[in-house]
Amino acid sequence: MSQISYDPIRLEVFKYLFAGIAEEMGVVLRKSAYSPNIKERRDYSCALFNGAGAMISQAAHIPVHLGSMPLSVAAVIEHASHSTTGIAPGDIFILNDPFRGGTHLPDITLVTPVFISNTPDAAPYSFVANRAHHSDVGGMMPGSMPVAREIFQEGLIIPPIKLVSRGEVNQAVMDLILANVRTPEERRGDLFAQMAANGRGASRLLEMVSRYGSNMVNSYMQGLLQYTERMVRHSLQNLPKGVYHFTDYMDDDGLGHQHIPITVAVTINADSAVVDFTGSAPQQQGSVNAVYAITLSAVYYVFRCMVGLDIPNNSACLAPITVIAPERSIVNAMPPSPVAGGNVETSQRIVDVLLGALAQAAPTIVPAASQGTMNNVTIGGWDSRHDKPFAYYETIGGGMGARPDRDGADAVHSHMTNTLNTPAEALEYSYPLRIERYEIRAATGGLGHFKGGSGIRRDVRVLVDAQVSLLTERRLSAPYGLDGGQPGAPGENRLIRNGVEQPLPAKGTIYLNANDILSIRTPGGGGFGEQDQTPTTVPSS
Amino acid sequence: MNSNSLRIGIDIGGTFTDFVVYDPRLQALRTFKLLTTAADPAEAVLKGLRDLCGNRRIVHGSTVATNALLERKGAQTALITTRGFRDVLQIGRQNRPALYDLFSDPSAPLVSQTWRMEITERVDYRGTVLTSLARDELTGLVQRLREGAIESVAVSLLFSFLHPEHEQHIARHLREAGFFTSVSHEILPEYREYERTSTTVVNAYVSPILDRYLAKVEAALNISRTGSEIEQTADLRIMQSNGGSIRTSEARQSGVRCIVSGPAGGVVGAFHVAQLAASLKNPEALVNIIAFDMGGTSTDVSLCKGAIKSTSEATLAGLPIRIPIIDIHTVGAGGGSIASIDAGGALRVGPQSAGADPGPACYGHSLLATVTDANVVLGRLPGEYFLDGKMILDEDRSRTALTAIGQLIELNAVQTAQGVIEVVNTHMERALRVISVERGYDPADFTLVSFGGASGLHAVELARRLGMPTVLISPFASTLSAFGMLIANTVKDYSLTVMLRGDVSESEIDKRFDPLVDKGLHEIREDGFASDNNITIERTLDVRYQGQSFELNVPFTHDFQRDFHDAHQRAYGYARPGAVTEIVNVRVKVTGHETPPHLPIKEMESQDPSPAWIENRNVVFEMTESVPFYQGECLRPGNRLSGPAIIIRSDTTILLDHGDTASVDGYHNLIIQVSPSRQGGLI
Repeated sequence: MSQISYDPIRLEVFKYLFAGIAEEMGVVLRKSAYSPNIKERRDYSCALFNGAGAMISQAAHIPVHLGSMPLSVAAVIEHASHSTTGIAPGDIFILNDPFRGGTHLPDITLVTPVFISNTPDAAPYSFVANRAHHSDVGGMMPGSMPVAREIFQEGLIIPPIKLVSRGEVNQAVMDLILANVRTPEERRGDLFAQMAANGRGASRLLEMVSRYGSNMVNSYMQGLLQYTERMVRHSLQNLPKGVYHFTDYMDDDGLGHQHIPITVAVTINADSAVVDFTGSAPQQQGSVNAVYAITLSAVYYVFRCMVGLDIPNNSACLAPITVIAPERSIVNAMPPSPVAGGNVETSQRIVDVLLGALAQAAPTIVPAASQGTMNNVTIGGWDSRHDKPFAYYETIGGGMGARPDRDGADAVHSHMTNTLNTPAEALEYSYPLRIERYEIRAATGGLGHFKGGSGIRRDVRVLVDAQVSLLTERRLSAPYGLDGGQPGAPGENRLIRNGVEQPLPAKGTIYLNANDILSIRTPGGGGFGEQDQTPTTVPSS
Repeated sequence: MNSNSLRIGIDIGGTFTDFVVYDPRLQALRTFKLLTTAADPAEAVLKGLRDLCGNRRIVHGSTVATNALLERKGAQTALITTRGFRDVLQIGRQNRPALYDLFSDPSAPLVSQTWRMEITERVDYRGTVLTSLARDELTGLVQRLREGAIESVAVSLLFSFLHPEHEQHIARHLREAGFFTSVSHEILPEYREYERTSTTVVNAYVSPILDRYLAKVEAALNISRTGSEIEQTADLRIMQSNGGSIRTSEARQSGVRCIVSGPAGGVVGAFHVAQLAASLKNPEALVNIIAFDMGGTSTDVSLCKGAIKSTSEATLAGLPIRIPIIDIHTVGAGGGSIASIDAGGALRVGPQSAGADPGPACYGHSLLATVTDANVVLGRLPGEYFLDGKMILDEDRSRTALTAIGQLIELNAVQTAQGVIEVVNTHMERALRVISVERGYDPADFTLVSFGGASGLHAVELARRLGMPTVLISPFASTLSAFGMLIANTVKDYSLTVMLRGDVSESEIDKRFDPLVDKGLHEIREDGFASDNNITIERTLDVRYQGQSFELNVPFTHDFQRDFHDAHQRAYGYARPGAVTEIVNVRVKVTGHETPPHLPIKEMESQDPSPAWIENRNVVFEMTESVPFYQGECLRPGNRLSGPAIIIRSDTTILLDHGDTASVDGYHNLIIQVSPSRQGGLI
């Protein structure tokens, strides 16, 4: 890469300006959205791209979207290159197809090209995009997070198409989408919020161009990519060279296939790395398949943590890192694999294996395994209070792995997600549900010199008959400890009916009667280091 | 209060305790500063008050509650909550504070698990009791609290704002047993259990500390009264975070309301001086300001469009505090922010700060290159004039520090200094944009009111970047917080979650307001406001589209729905006039208006500022030029100056660039007309 010299002052200035645009888009989206997933749980991301589709800045929202947003813009550019309608000012593209720029179906991405020239054949100067997790996109289960056998059961698939063409909403597309989802009014509101967020991003970028000129803005987009790559290469130099292997397992795919391996070999070179997933399981029948975008995001997240520096989130973070993910494997699934859980569950295990490998290279900065799941729970049915269907989706935190110098935190989300919970009082206003208990699951963190954090117990009573989808992990295998620390306790799913507890599977669909209680108990984090011996039990030599 | 009472505002800062005193008989305002006595802040306060005899009305901004929270030195606190929910306080919203930092943890809760206790009871979202309160469990709980030497107890039950009886019963029991008790439906009767519980717990944690401090100050004031030969009274009041004052008896029960009283005083003061300045031209003028307070380690900004704005979304030290607080946005950049070059070769400024100790390189104790050093190297902050010459800045050290940084990026000291100013201005500009442009306000409609020691060198350039036409700098810019306290009204906030459809009848909404208004009127009358003439009542609604989660606050009028759509359009760029709206909370603000101090308007004198001219010195803008320096205290009303110029005052230094003009008004305010932005200009 040719290194033009950039003014170190303007580099810093533009870093703030670009980051500010993505952050402001996020504020607009969060505050005006309808889905609890977006507004309460903040399951969304916003980003700015250059005209070639390289990501320049992304607001720090959700790691699982990190590596995958550039693929959305790439898919739009690819689509437009052989479509007769091309890309024009005033267009907004929509997509959720995991095999064409998406991740899993509930994540709907809107991409807006930004033009600075009005000439008919002008190319986009830049793109802004945001992705948000919608509460329902149709399919076999409310909430669209089922255990499915093929992607067609998971919901409506939207390839890259224009939702807005030259400023006019494409009503046919909008109607088609809304006709295929359970809560169309909410979808419409969310899509409005997403359009508004992109609109805000585009107008901020244009203001910047008019202040600094298009050449300078463009040149510093490039400059920041080079800057970020330098930072990442610099920090890779601090890791000892070598090849580090690690394998861990997914519990199951929800259809009876258990103990699914994910394996990695991380090669650290002078200032670059190769991450090779060869040897991981083939793509599965059930919904635990990760598309390539998800695997990239997990790699991105782990190295972003290892860099330990405050760097911009842009495409260049991954430039020094080569990712090898064999096609038709669980880390690079192909159609028509179902993928709902790849995003939320498999991504966590990919992080676990990467950290397990890197712990050998950098034992002082890598924690033991955290809960390793997002504990996805979707409850849907008919809300007789409001005479309309409802779909409630939640992910639940758990134990964080112990660190080399301190205990793991209790009851937090770790790694690939950081979404908020739905307050018990907000939940009861919105859905025919009632929270009965919400507490820390005592002593579930792995023991060790430093203890893993404890998981959560969340008991939800359904007040009407309802169907539940569970996509959870670490119910069989436990989050590993490091350096002699004990593993954390696995999670448990339970149904409490008339006071009697019965076990529920890690993944699957369950039908509940009114007044049943669904009790989700999330895993603890692994411990770090041998547990301290009390003086009386120190063995004599 | 006697109308001839001395009025005194006191603000305790990190370094100085500021006093502003207004004597109504002389119609004169004076200010003085004492060194803060950090170990016992009351010492400086009492020392300052010792010489101010007679009847006094004192409004005191207290950092006692703030420091108790920040330093985790509050009371031994327990929490009683609904069975099944004791860990809500720790789980919070289950998120972690930093995405890519494997070593950062959420703030630890103020109450450890041992002292988070549960009681059997349950109320649902309609306020219906599902499980009645197990009163028999209380005896055991109180026993445990006693054994644990607990001083203060927070009580927060689910949906208590809809059915307060359970909390009331527990509170009565605890108060009889002698515990300080903080109750969620009294402190914050709004939904979302974590935020309500957190606010209630913070109150339980800080109030006993504030209580002890106030008892001490009041006792000392009473002793001095009996010991003195002159009969005198002291009406001591406390500044709240909402910009109004309350009686100490109330503050001692609700310390959480006083958490950010200092910055709140600054905004109140800034808004008032802007109102006075505007009234010279047009008494009816609507005052729109952005208050800009740049200090050593951080910068506070706040936007006021016609009135001071509150927020209910504040977070302090990682803990949500959801009572109304003046909407102040803080960034960790100030005069002491340290410049460095990162591994990728970019020039960074902050977030680390040199603070007051060791301080910037020019203070002589470090070689940390800071924003202050950059201003010194550019000739904008001449060493011998700093703080009235009480402290000499070491210009050579500044140059050495910036040269060292510059070598890493092949720039000389001056170029590096220009870069440092550029980068820190970008931070500040971002802070100002967050509160204006991002919320749908055009900065061109606002005046930048600059105060705080480091503000004057940056204010005009920032106004230019944001397209703001005017900067106002008050003659007592460095004691504006204490001034704001002196003039603060008595303000009481009330709220209640109601969750009504937006299309319910107005009488239905009125019904929800009535008890809050009655309570407010009762309490404000207890505060001595007998006549309705000086009481105002504001009714507002928190509204959203049904299904959203964030509300916009609009006045309760016949047109509140339309106002909401407009506000939504302004904030987010779209509105949905056909969609169903939802009223989440009703809010009442009751204000008892104090008569503002009468400040005489000075006669206009000559336009010629040359009597205040000190000398010409070299200052670096785009190139080095000879620039006139003026002594700010010697400028007279009517004087006019044009940039480039530097105005030196004992509390701040003000920079005017090419094209900027300034004039002194009848209140000694410096009013700066900002020349429009240079296209694409970076330095």
